[in-house]
Amino acid sequence: MGRLRRSRAHHARRDVHRASRTRVMTRHLDQIQDIDLDPTNRAALEAQPINYELPGLGQHYCVECAKYYETDSALQSHWKSKVHKRRLKELRVPAYTIEESERAAGLGRENRRPIASTSASVAPMDMVVEPLVV
Amino acid sequence: MRIEKCYFCSTNVYPGHGSAFVRNDAKVFRFCTSKCHKNFKMKRNPRKVRWTKAFRKAAGKEMTIDSTIEFEKRRNVPVRYDRDLIQTTVKAMKRVGEIRARRERAFFKHRMAAAREKQKAHRKRALDGAKLDVKLHLPTSAESSQTKTKILVPVKANSALIQGDGHSMGMETD
Repeated sequence: MGRLRRSRAHHARRDVHRASRTRVMTRHLDQIQDIDLDPTNRAALEAQPINYELPGLGQHYCVECAKYYETDSALQSHWKSKVHKRRLKELRVPAYTIEESERAAGLGRENRRPIASTSASVAPMDMVVEPLVV
Repeated sequence: MRIEKCYFCSTNVYPGHGSAFVRNDAKVFRFCTSKCHKNFKMKRNPRKVRWTKAFRKAAGKEMTIDSTIEFEKRRNVPVRYDRDLIQTTVKAMKRVGEIRARRERAFFKHRMAAAREKQKAHRKRALDGAKLDVKLHLPTSAESSQTKTKILVPVKANSALIQGDGHSMGMETD
């Protein structure tokens, strides 16, 4: 009798290298959160017109995973799968964005609107000269 | 000249360095090195990768709220060149840098002090746990361990390896 198979050995991770190619790049998490999950957009994505180029004529689309399925039963079983549930978990927290990377670097944004041309030369750099308190 | 920030690790990306990925909605992702670019392609979340600025800020390992951080901003209004203004700005930058370094040092010390308390408590708990687990055995006496009793192994009467007696290494025939 050989070694028994360990449990929890697979994480539903398949073909990672193929999936990381640019040509198979799908929508990013922030795009899905901001655009696709909006109810009107979601409805439009779920009821797409017949497209002969897409898998299953574009009729079975999972909005969260940005993926087309061949049949309705395939889509149903996908919704029950580990991959889909993991994706839902990822979408629950706000996605990382370029703005967040800039905030982490300490680069803020000037929220003030550009001031009229008379005082424009004085406006923005004034902040640097203000007295500092340690 | 505009110094950009790396999308993944938030370091400075100077002109002519790094690479950029432009998504089909015209968002520009800039990367300082191929390391950061590769990590992005692996779809890693910078908030969960420990060497990024995003992680360090999110986990409270660096100062996030401080007036010295407020100066660096993206100002999309051009400023007319003014010699005095530039001079004061450069002077202020140096001063701000000093103050910031001092505050970061203080922040680090404060964080380490808190961590040390935690570490001590953890070690104490671990040590107490270990003490309870150990069972003490009485040392075995030297004599009893040294005396060895001879065990007699019964020898088989007829072995196939010994020739004669009608037994040999060949086939047994009745």
